[in-house]
Amino acid sequence: MVKKLFIRFLVLSAGLVVMNNVYRFFFYEKDLRQHSPEMLEVWKQQRKSDVLYFAESSNMNVRDTDIVKKSISELTDDLLPQLHFKIGAVNKPATHAGIYKAWIKNMRAPFPKAVIVTMNLRSFGADWRHSELESVLQAGVVMLKPYPVLANRFLLALNAFDNKTPAQREQEMLREWEEVKFDFPFKVPHSTVRLWDNAMANGSFLLPDGSWDMEKITLACHYVKSYAFQIKPDNPRLKDFDEIVSFCQQHKIKLIFNLLAENTEYAQQYVGKELVQIMRYNRNLLVRRYSKKRGVTVVDNLELLDGLDFSDQNWTTEHYGYNGRLQIAKQLAKALRYSK
Amino acid sequence: MLFNSIDFLFFLPVVVVLYYLLPQRFRWLLIFVSSCSFYMAFIPKYILVLFAIILIDYSAAIWMEKLEGKPRKRLLLLSLTANIGILAFFKYFGFANQTLIDFFALFGKEFKNYDLGIILPIGLSFHTFQSMSYTIEVYRGQQKAEKHLGYFANYVLFFPQMVAGPIERYATLGEELRKEQRLQFENISAGFRLLLLGFVIKMVVADQLAPYVNEIYAAPSNYAPLQIALALVFFSFQIYADFFGYSLIAQGSARLLGIHIMDNFKTPYFAASIGEFWRRWHISLSTWFRDYLYIPLGGNRVGKWRWVFNTLVVFGVSGLWHGASWTFLVWGLLHGLFLILEKPLKPFANIISTFILVTLAWVFFRAPDFTSAIQILKGLVIAQSEGPKWMDTWTPLSALGLLLLLDFAYRKQRFDVLLNRLPLVGRWSLYFVLIFALMAFSGTQKFTFIYFQF
Repeated sequence: MVKKLFIRFLVLSAGLVVMNNVYRFFFYEKDLRQHSPEMLEVWKQQRKSDVLYFAESSNMNVRDTDIVKKSISELTDDLLPQLHFKIGAVNKPATHAGIYKAWIKNMRAPFPKAVIVTMNLRSFGADWRHSELESVLQAGVVMLKPYPVLANRFLLALNAFDNKTPAQREQEMLREWEEVKFDFPFKVPHSTVRLWDNAMANGSFLLPDGSWDMEKITLACHYVKSYAFQIKPDNPRLKDFDEIVSFCQQHKIKLIFNLLAENTEYAQQYVGKELVQIMRYNRNLLVRRYSKKRGVTVVDNLELLDGLDFSDQNWTTEHYGYNGRLQIAKQLAKALRYSK
Repeated sequence: MLFNSIDFLFFLPVVVVLYYLLPQRFRWLLIFVSSCSFYMAFIPKYILVLFAIILIDYSAAIWMEKLEGKPRKRLLLLSLTANIGILAFFKYFGFANQTLIDFFALFGKEFKNYDLGIILPIGLSFHTFQSMSYTIEVYRGQQKAEKHLGYFANYVLFFPQMVAGPIERYATLGEELRKEQRLQFENISAGFRLLLLGFVIKMVVADQLAPYVNEIYAAPSNYAPLQIALALVFFSFQIYADFFGYSLIAQGSARLLGIHIMDNFKTPYFAASIGEFWRRWHISLSTWFRDYLYIPLGGNRVGKWRWVFNTLVVFGVSGLWHGASWTFLVWGLLHGLFLILEKPLKPFANIISTFILVTLAWVFFRAPDFTSAIQILKGLVIAQSEGPKWMDTWTPLSALGLLLLLDFAYRKQRFDVLLNRLPLVGRWSLYFVLIFALMAFSGTQKFTFIYFQF
C-alpha cells in the first residue's frame, strides 16, 4: 500500500507543477488585478520609472483649496528635471512596511535605481498595527507570498492570513494600551496609554462656561492614542523594514526612507511637550537604526511642517496642503540628488 | 474549526496518522480529544454544554434499561426535557423574549427585555437531536445502552459530523466507532475522493454563488427582477452546495478513519415532488422527524384533517429547528402546505414546479426578516430600481454549471463509487481538473457553512 500511495504522490506532485504553470500563464494576472492590483501597478511603474515611490494616503490627498493638486511624488519628480529621473508612485491607504515589503520583494528585474518608502510614525503604534483595515491589507498580499502562485491562490481561498475580526483587533489594541508600560529615559506623566487617555478625557479642556470642550478633548485623546507609544526592538514594522533594507542591499537598490511629517505643533498644544518628546525619541531610534547602521538614506520630515500645513486640522493624519507637500518633496529631491 | 480552513488541513492528517498508529484500545481517546479540540476552536467554554448533554443521556440510557413501564417513560421524558431545555435556553430564549416584547407592544404595554447576550453554541441542534435519538431508541428497546462513556461521548462529539450532521443513529455511527479499523487503501482513496468533491462543491460552487446572493439580499431594491430571480436560483444551489459540500467533507474525513457516515443528500433538485424533495434533502433530519415526531403523532394512518395537522406540526417544528425566527417557521409551514396541496395536484407536480416552489420558500429561509422577504418577492415582479447595478454573473453561472454537471453524474451513483469505476486515465484527469478548480477558482471571501448556525 505504501508503494501505491507513493506512486500517487509522485503523479500528484507532477500534476501540481503543471497546474501551477497553467494557472500562472492563464489566470494569475486576472486574480492579481482583483486581489493585489498594486502589484501590477508596481510592475507597470517599474517599466516606466527609475525610482519607485511607495506611499500610503499622504500621496493621494490634497487640500480642497490647493491650486496645485500635485502629489508629493509628482512634485519631487518636477524638482529633478536635470537628473532625468522618472518617479512612479504606488499608493494605497493605510499601508505600512509589512505591505511595502511584499510589493518590493516581488519587483521584477531589472530593478529600479531607487525606491522611496514612505512611512509615518503612527504606523509603528498600536492604533495602526491593530487597525481594522489590517485584514484587508493582509488579504491583498497573500497572492504575493513566496510560494507557488497556485498555492497562494488556495491560501487566499482558505483565508490563511492574519484575518482577525475588527473586534479581535480592537481587543488587542485595548490590551496593549492598558498593559504596555512606557520605559523612556525621561519622565512622562502617565505610565500607559490608557491612563494618559483617561487623564486627557477627564476635563482637560474647558469651555468658558465651565463645561468640557469635547472637541478639543477628543482630539487630545486621539493624539495620545496615535503617538504615545515606544518603538521596541520587537516591533513588527522594524522587522518588515529590515527585510526591505536587506532586499535593497542585495539587489543594489538605493533605499530612501521617507519619514513623514507629523503635527508636532498641535501635539504639544493639545497634549504637552512630553508627547512631542516621545515622538522625537521614536524618530531618533528609527534614524539611528537605519541611517547609521544600515546605510539607508533617511529623510526626516517629522518636525518639518507647521500645524497649519496639515489638511486635517481636527484629526491626526499625514495629509498636507500644497506647501506641506512641496516642503517634503524638496527634502526628497535633495536626498535623491545626493544619492545619485 | 472550519473545514475550509488551513487549520483543518493540518488537523485532519495528524488525526488520521495518529489513529492508525495507536492500538485500538486508545483510539476512542484520540477521537475524543481531537473532537473536543475541533469543537473548542469555536467557543471553548461551550464544550461544557456538550458534556452536559453527554452525561445526561449516557446516564439516562443506562438507568432506563433497568426500568420498566412508567418510571422508564418518566426517565425518557426527563432526558428529553433536559435536552430540549438546553436547546430552548440557548436557541429560543431570545426569540421568545422578543416575541413577548412585540406581543405586549401590540397592546401598548411593555415587556422586559432580558438580554442575556447568549451566543448559540455551534451545531447545538444537531447534537441534541442525535443524542435524543439514542435515548429514544434505548427507551424503545431497539438499542442497548452504551456502557463505555468514551464511546458514547464520541458518538455525540465525532468531529467530522458534530457541527452540522448528518444526524446519525447510534446503531450505525456508534457501532462504526467501536469497530477496529484497519488501514485500508480503499478507505484512504475513497476518503480523499469525498474530501476533494466536498471541498470543490463548497469552495468553488457555494462560495462563488454567495457574493451574488448576499449583495442582492442586502439591497434588493437596487436590482432588476431578472437579477433577483437569478439570486433566488443561486441561493437554492448555494445552500445545497454549502450543505452537501459539508456532508461530503464529513463523510470523507470519517472515511479516512475507516468510518462510514450516511448520505445526507441525493440530488434533491431532481425531485419531482415536495415529498420526494424531502426524501432527498437533509435525509438524516427528515428521517429523524419521521421516526420521532411524525409517526408518533400518527403519521398518515389517520384521518385527513389529522394528517394535515401532523404534517404542519412536523414542518413547523422543522422550520423552528433551523432557526429561532418567524421566517423559519413560515419556511417550514410553506413546505408543509406544499406537501398537503401536492396530493390533489399530483398530476401537475414535476421537477420544475418542485424547484420553483422550493426556491420561493427559500426566500423566507434566507431573508433576515419578513420585510426583506416581502421586498425580495416584490422585486421579482416589480422593477424597483431605476438603473439596476451591474453584477458579475459569469462567475456564479460557471460555478452553477459545475454543480449541475456533478449533480447529473451523482443522480445514478455516488461520486466516490462513480469515480472508482472510471478508467485510470479518465479518473486521474478528473482529479486534476477538480484539484485545479479547487485551487484556482475557489471563492476568496470567508463564508462559514450555513448550517453551522443551527
